[in-house]
Amino acid sequence: MSQRLYELIAKVMGGESSSINDESSPTSVESWTSFKGYVLLSELETEFNVKFTIDEAMDVTNVADIKKHLKNHGVDLTD
Amino acid sequence: MTAEHKLSYYINNSDKILETKFNKKIRIGILSSFTINGLKETIQVKSADKNIDCTTYVGAYNQYNQEILNVESNLYKFSPDITFLIIDTQNILGDFFYFPYDVSILERKNFVEKKLKELQTLIDIFTSNTKSKLIIANFNIPTYSPYGIFETKTEYGFHQMVEDLNRKLSNNVAKSNSVYVYDFNRFILKYGENNIFDSKQFFFGDMKIALDYIPHLANDLMSYVTAYLGLSKKCIVLDLDNTLWGGVIGEDGFNGIMLGPEPPGNTYVEFQRVLLSLFQRGIILAINSKNNKDDVLKVIEEHPYMILKKEHFASMRINWNDKVSNIKEIAHELNISADSMVFFDDDPVNREFMKLNMPQILTVDLPLDSSQYVQTIKQMNEFDVLNITAEDITRGKMYVEQQKRNNFEQATPNLESFLKNLELKILIKNSNEFTIPRISQLTLKTNQFNLTTKRYQESDIKKISDNDKYIVGCAQVEDKFGDNGITGVFIVNKTNSQEWFIDTFLLSCRVMGRDVEKAILGHIINRAKEDNVELIKTQFLSSQKNKPIEDFLPNCGFKKDGDYWYYSLKTPFIIPTYLEVNIE
Repeated sequence: MSQRLYELIAKVMGGESSSINDESSPTSVESWTSFKGYVLLSELETEFNVKFTIDEAMDVTNVADIKKHLKNHGVDLTD
Repeated sequence: MTAEHKLSYYINNSDKILETKFNKKIRIGILSSFTINGLKETIQVKSADKNIDCTTYVGAYNQYNQEILNVESNLYKFSPDITFLIIDTQNILGDFFYFPYDVSILERKNFVEKKLKELQTLIDIFTSNTKSKLIIANFNIPTYSPYGIFETKTEYGFHQMVEDLNRKLSNNVAKSNSVYVYDFNRFILKYGENNIFDSKQFFFGDMKIALDYIPHLANDLMSYVTAYLGLSKKCIVLDLDNTLWGGVIGEDGFNGIMLGPEPPGNTYVEFQRVLLSLFQRGIILAINSKNNKDDVLKVIEEHPYMILKKEHFASMRINWNDKVSNIKEIAHELNISADSMVFFDDDPVNREFMKLNMPQILTVDLPLDSSQYVQTIKQMNEFDVLNITAEDITRGKMYVEQQKRNNFEQATPNLESFLKNLELKILIKNSNEFTIPRISQLTLKTNQFNLTTKRYQESDIKKISDNDKYIVGCAQVEDKFGDNGITGVFIVNKTNSQEWFIDTFLLSCRVMGRDVEKAILGHIINRAKEDNVELIKTQFLSSQKNKPIEDFLPNCGFKKDGDYWYYSLKTPFIIPTYLEVNIE
């Protein structure tokens, strides 16, 4: 299930999904700029049909955080 | 049309645009009062899709005043062809955005006038510092009002302030040929305020246009780019069965096809109405259909609910030949290039065949559902032009007259007697405020009979016309079938007292093959003689499309020397007697 998330992140960041994991973050992924972060949030919302709160959006530091917040909205990506 | 991509698609693909040799180049400046990241990348990718090499400059966040007011700014150094200026309503209204009713009606009115003056100052400074077109977005009228339902009963209320600002801004630039108002408010109406403004994106990243809608905004702005570059589409080629009416005429018969007030016949009636509205503003319509011609003509001539009549079609190919051969014939007959054509056909197989063989033609993916045809065509911006001239409005009629000429040509044994019988009248006109828009349009759109294919915007033509060293003129061509309008342009540089240089010489494809060029050249030669000039110099700049003018210079007595062609004024030049030439 995580694969769907990794692929979306890779698509937005412009890389391979194999290089994305739960620890991936703006620090580890070079192309993950603050703007790409906004784009990612927007495309996550469309892909998973959820709306994050501004607190959740601001809380994201890595992929694991995205998973955690998706779960709050009923999207469980546990493999 | 096809579904829009996500913004990430454009951002990541903008890096991958290859340094290929695109046909066209454009430089775009973007100024805005808020963060508009991703727009640049989207415009670049969309330009590349249309073979346009697009270079962009994005002004710093909310620095539009400085960029325009400072004559040394990076924007002016960048030297854009087109500059987009997008200011949001909250930015321009300031405190009035939330507290419009803190002040009197008079103060609200004065405030709007003050803002209009400020905008006008920006416009004036901009236009005096750069040749770039300026596209100013107008202001979104928010749905919210502190007065709620009482807003509509309020004299010069909050909403009316913005409406007034928009209307007056449009009026102020209506006559300008370098400043345009982009109807940003209509963009918001189209997609919805609740979709475009995403509060979280706004508070989190100061984004006033939700990222999902940046590609849609880019689509709207691309209309200006393609129109500026003269890439607007001119002709719609239509299939008939299940496109202009429901059902198949060959099988369902005259009474069996679906066309009329009942659904689904009403979807086709409405689609035809939209097509007619495009015809009325100068888009040429043609038919490309596999059918028995007689069956079809009966429908076109006699069906009570046909909106499009015979006189609306400049060319008809109704036969059993393949559609690619037919469309090539249509292009040839109408003398237009394939890349200015759009093809509508409900059959995906026909569409694939067309896309494969004629990729330069825009083949529209008509949806399966005929109730969506109208929306599909209404959302196309490929027909947009920066100026609709008198010639555009009467173009459809002219093409029908052209059909009569062609029939006449076929019935007349030789070319000379044909031309004699055409009763051609050529009126040479100077450039002036009435002819300049059309002169510029012809330089932008004419490909075939065009000696140098130099493209000039209206402001360029105006500037050249104001220069005593230049002669800018045009030719209006009339014959016994009707008026073709202004269809020829020439620009001559009076280099010195001995030598003149023909910078631009072109004829619209509508009047090619009628010796009109000899009348225009004769006029230039006569004027040169009056000024005791000895030599006329010019050059033939070969393009992919201007083969038809290749022999013009040698045929008229020009001699080649190196890259240039020379005509000695001692050489006699005779304007064919069957041309009546008048000078206005």
